[in-house]
Amino acid sequence: MRVPALRGYENYMQNHTSTDQLPGDAGHSPDLPLIKAALDASVSGIIITDNQLPDNPIIYCNESFERMTGYKRIEIIGHNCRFLQADDRQQPERLKIRRAVQEGEHVSVEIRNYKKNGDLFWNELFISPVQAADGRVTHFIGVQHDVTRRKQAEEDLYREKELREQKIKERTLQLNASKEYLDSIIQTVRESLVVLGPDLKVIGVNRHFLNTFKVTASETEDKSLYDLGNGQWNIPKLKELLENILPSNNPVLDFEVEHIFPHIGKKLMLLNAYRVELEGEYRDRILLAIEDITDRRAIEQRKDDFLSVASHELKTPLTTIKGYMQILERLLPKDADEKLLEVVGKSTKHIERLNTLIKELLDVSRIQTGNITLHRERFDFDEMVRETADTIQNVSPKHRLVISGSTGIDYEGDESQLSQVVSNLLSNAIKYSPDSANIEVNLARVSDYVKFSVTDFGVGISPDDQRKIFERFYRASDTQKNYPGMGIGLYICEQIVSHHGGNLWVDSEHGKGSTFNFTLPIKQKTNE
Amino acid sequence: MSKKILICDDDEGILEMLEMALYAEEHEISTEINSLKLIGRIRDERPDLLILDLWMPVLSGDQITRTLKEMPEYKNLPILVISASRDGEDIARKAGANDYLAKPFDIDELLKKVESLN
Repeated sequence: MRVPALRGYENYMQNHTSTDQLPGDAGHSPDLPLIKAALDASVSGIIITDNQLPDNPIIYCNESFERMTGYKRIEIIGHNCRFLQADDRQQPERLKIRRAVQEGEHVSVEIRNYKKNGDLFWNELFISPVQAADGRVTHFIGVQHDVTRRKQAEEDLYREKELREQKIKERTLQLNASKEYLDSIIQTVRESLVVLGPDLKVIGVNRHFLNTFKVTASETEDKSLYDLGNGQWNIPKLKELLENILPSNNPVLDFEVEHIFPHIGKKLMLLNAYRVELEGEYRDRILLAIEDITDRRAIEQRKDDFLSVASHELKTPLTTIKGYMQILERLLPKDADEKLLEVVGKSTKHIERLNTLIKELLDVSRIQTGNITLHRERFDFDEMVRETADTIQNVSPKHRLVISGSTGIDYEGDESQLSQVVSNLLSNAIKYSPDSANIEVNLARVSDYVKFSVTDFGVGISPDDQRKIFERFYRASDTQKNYPGMGIGLYICEQIVSHHGGNLWVDSEHGKGSTFNFTLPIKQKTNE
Repeated sequence: MSKKILICDDDEGILEMLEMALYAEEHEISTEINSLKLIGRIRDERPDLLILDLWMPVLSGDQITRTLKEMPEYKNLPILVISASRDGEDIARKAGANDYLAKPFDIDELLKKVESLN
């Protein structure tokens, strides 16, 4: 930018004290007032400094500059531009300005300036030197814009970006941490885990899988499950699970698979399979958890066998004792001493108790290990109840068992086990209603269920106890003293009924009596 | 009616007790503790009824029952199996026993069964 050489500052100060004049305005050009008006109309702040005077003072400013800085003209003229920087003197832009001024070059910088009231504003400053004919730089023209807003927006944008990057960094860290955390869980679990892709290729397995099935990760990952280890995982039942059952029954739990593996032998496995249904990267992946229950099953079997043998051995001398007791009863003369009769009677009763305990022990053991097997056959349900009630009635002459209603059903189930349930419920009813003679039994067909209920008018059961009486070894709080026993009868009943797909429950009021009910579905589910 | 009853059980106590209980009813009782000797005893004594335990060492009650039921001369010999085994009844019936009684049993019930088996 070339501007005609201006006159010296001193001259200017002498000749022009009003704001109407531009430096060099000596009335030479008729255009000058117009130029001045144009400069004042500009939104840019414009100043001119005189480089020939000491410290390069401002010799002109337009109105926009006054507006921009808040300083009046009188406070501006004669100052070096740096007064706008207030105390903020360490800005690197200053060096750029200084060099440009020294070298007489163009420069443009963005620099923090301060208004008269102290407010910061960002000044986009263009500095152009004005050269005389001989090449000396006589003046500088500064054009400035208040770019605070833009700067602010830029700053905000930058901040935002920084913040976002920071967040992404944190998120990535978090993601890695949680991935590592999940991975450590999967690796620590004492159960084999396999992740399969939708094509049944192995995406990953955990350490327990590798150890249990004696394989390495490289032999396993990215291979089709069925091809693993020369096809040793090509198990028909597993195929059935993954291809036929899982697609329509997600998740599948406790699916039992038995298989003989070439190197590790026969394994009994309990599988949980879960197909990921969530949209996204993991969709249709299959998680397969494999619990090796080979040893557990063997131990359960041994325990069962032991208890079978033990109860058999215990029952043998019990048979003898019971026989002798009965012979003794026969041998006693009719006019025998009452004490003696009592002793014999009590002994007989306790032998019966011992027998029941031994039977219950075996039952509970079997039920616990899930080895309760039902021998299903059709039988007359009402007849079974009548027969069982008769047996109980015979040994409990003090109570009166009254049966009402009928189911009229030939039920398909395990007669001896259901008879055990009825017998148990009836003898409980008698046991817990010592002062009330009547026991009411009702039989009914309700929808597609047979229903059995027995009502006594005895001690009843508190709401608290009602929730727990079907638990193993639970005995209602106030019964322990008066009614000895192990408290497994109802547990067994509940297990037998639920194995038949039925439901056993109690309605009772403390002090008024109880009604025990069970229902059994007439139509058995085919998969039972 | 008085019967000739042969009882086979590997437990001495059971044998003694049964002998005493049935003897009182005027049955003629003999006992055998070793199941291996049982068939010989049957041949010699020609009992009217056999009371047989299930779990016995070497030769079990169901094996004996099967053997006897296959022998024309003994297939009509009534066999009452007595056992403390939970699955005893199933095993006994499958082997061909005529009746079954779970240990421990009621003497009256035993007598009833003894009476009815011909």
